[in-house]
Amino acid sequence: MINLLKTEWLKIKKYPAFWWIIGVTALSYPGINYIFHSIYDNMLHRNNQTARITKALIGNPFAFPEAWHTVAYFSSFFVFIPAVVVIMLVTNEYNYKTHRQNIIDGWSRSQYTTSKFIDVLLVSLLITILYILVSMIIGYTNSEGAPDTWSLSYYTALFALQTLSQLSIAFLIGFLVKRAFIALGVFIFYFLIFENILVGVGKRYANDIGRFLPLEISDRLIPVPAFLGKFDKESYDRALAAINAHIFYTIILTAIIWLICFRVNNKRDL
Amino acid sequence: MASVLSLNQISKSYGPVKALKGVSFDVPEGAVFGILGPNGSGKTTLLSIILDVLKADHGSFFWLGNPGSPDQRKKIGSLLETPNFYHYLSAINNLKITQSISGRGTASDIDEVLKKVRLFERRKSRFNTFSLGMKQRLAIAAALMGDPKVLVFDEPTNGLDPVGIAEIRELIIELRNSGHTIIMASHLLDEVEKVCTHAAILRTGELLTTGEVEEILVDDDVVEISATDSARLFELVRQLSGNAVLDQKLNLVHITFPKGTAKLDEVNRFCFQNGIALNHLLLKKKRLEARFFELTGN
Repeated sequence: MINLLKTEWLKIKKYPAFWWIIGVTALSYPGINYIFHSIYDNMLHRNNQTARITKALIGNPFAFPEAWHTVAYFSSFFVFIPAVVVIMLVTNEYNYKTHRQNIIDGWSRSQYTTSKFIDVLLVSLLITILYILVSMIIGYTNSEGAPDTWSLSYYTALFALQTLSQLSIAFLIGFLVKRAFIALGVFIFYFLIFENILVGVGKRYANDIGRFLPLEISDRLIPVPAFLGKFDKESYDRALAAINAHIFYTIILTAIIWLICFRVNNKRDL
Repeated sequence: MASVLSLNQISKSYGPVKALKGVSFDVPEGAVFGILGPNGSGKTTLLSIILDVLKADHGSFFWLGNPGSPDQRKKIGSLLETPNFYHYLSAINNLKITQSISGRGTASDIDEVLKKVRLFERRKSRFNTFSLGMKQRLAIAAALMGDPKVLVFDEPTNGLDPVGIAEIRELIIELRNSGHTIIMASHLLDEVEKVCTHAAILRTGELLTTGEVEEILVDDDVVEISATDSARLFELVRQLSGNAVLDQKLNLVHITFPKGTAKLDEVNRFCFQNGIALNHLLLKKKRLEARFFELTGN
């Protein structure tokens, strides 16, 4: 395992595109949270009736402990950026035919797939660290007195699991499609448009069957922040109650994705 | 002599196309074993199977008596089809990956193999800045890492200039002389003739023949003669050998003898004693290419 990690690090550490995209992610996560924070700030600093009512209604979603939840929710919109890295890491191997060379040089096919799983884990870990940093900075700068810092910090685990699951879906698409641009197109179209349509249709006509769609399964690990939940308290409570079930579904789905990858790679011609 | 590699009835199809049809042969230890055949004969498919890049439909293969495994492959230096490296990494960083996966060699060996293939000066250049020949030399360097006793080369001189080709041939001969076993696919007969000790010839996935190069690619003696009346000459020499052919256009008769058995003085005497004076008598070697075309039916 250490050898796989070391070898993957040799592939990544001098890969400029990897660090550029990680850099873009490092800007986008604080960026999106800063934008929503600014909107919130502007609304509350108006000295009028609406501002006072809004403040009374929603509290401060950027203060601890709710900051963990709010930042996780907004950051999760941007998982398609690290997904680009994951898709590039797998499709590069096909493009350069190094997926064959790694086997020729002495890895088993399972070791090769494990090395790719390590890549996805590494990217998920980097993204989670970034999320923790953004949550801490936003939480501390918005909290007053002695805040309840850690009670919602379990969103870190939910965010990490969601990221791992959704990046695994991106990996699977890259792994099966093999071509970077097609895989990216398929993932982004599905992530931004197609699944959202299916979920909406499912909610309206099919007893919310869309909750079992691949991305939606893990999307529901992080429901809308509490201040948005106040607009429809019943739905919000249902969403919170469903988190445990979705942890289970997400783990099962992620395991199935990797089982498919291992099985396909062990059987197919390279 | 022990077999480094044994193939047993290897078959492989791509849909309706049968790429290999029950191929079996053994590669003796210390041999430079050429797998020879025209394009599309199944050479690369065969090498891909023994390196676990492709799965055989039927049959089995054994490296030193054991079924193929990752640990076996780590001990084999291989170049398959095209040089496969990370385009954004330098030569040295690509070889670090080879070293990390295979466990062959050390950091100082990387410098050594780069010097051996004349890429040391460009060791810090990215792979995507290399010419085709340099890429090929880097792939050979990767195969040589840690001095493996068994090497697999698929068209090793592909993309090299004449000097590069000569250098790789020298290198292969040097490796052969130091006891390495080399399995090499090629469609270049000259290459096989110059460096290989053994060969297998494939045609459309079928093994035509295998054995020592001397036995397989025997280059027969051809005696070329002519006289004023070539038709009468042809009738006469047919009594001497059944392998006589009349070339009416050039007014020549060709007689084929097994390698090293043609005796010009005997042919000349025979004709003269039977009343024909030759005006042309020449010993020609049957070209290796012609022998190959005979075997492969091209």
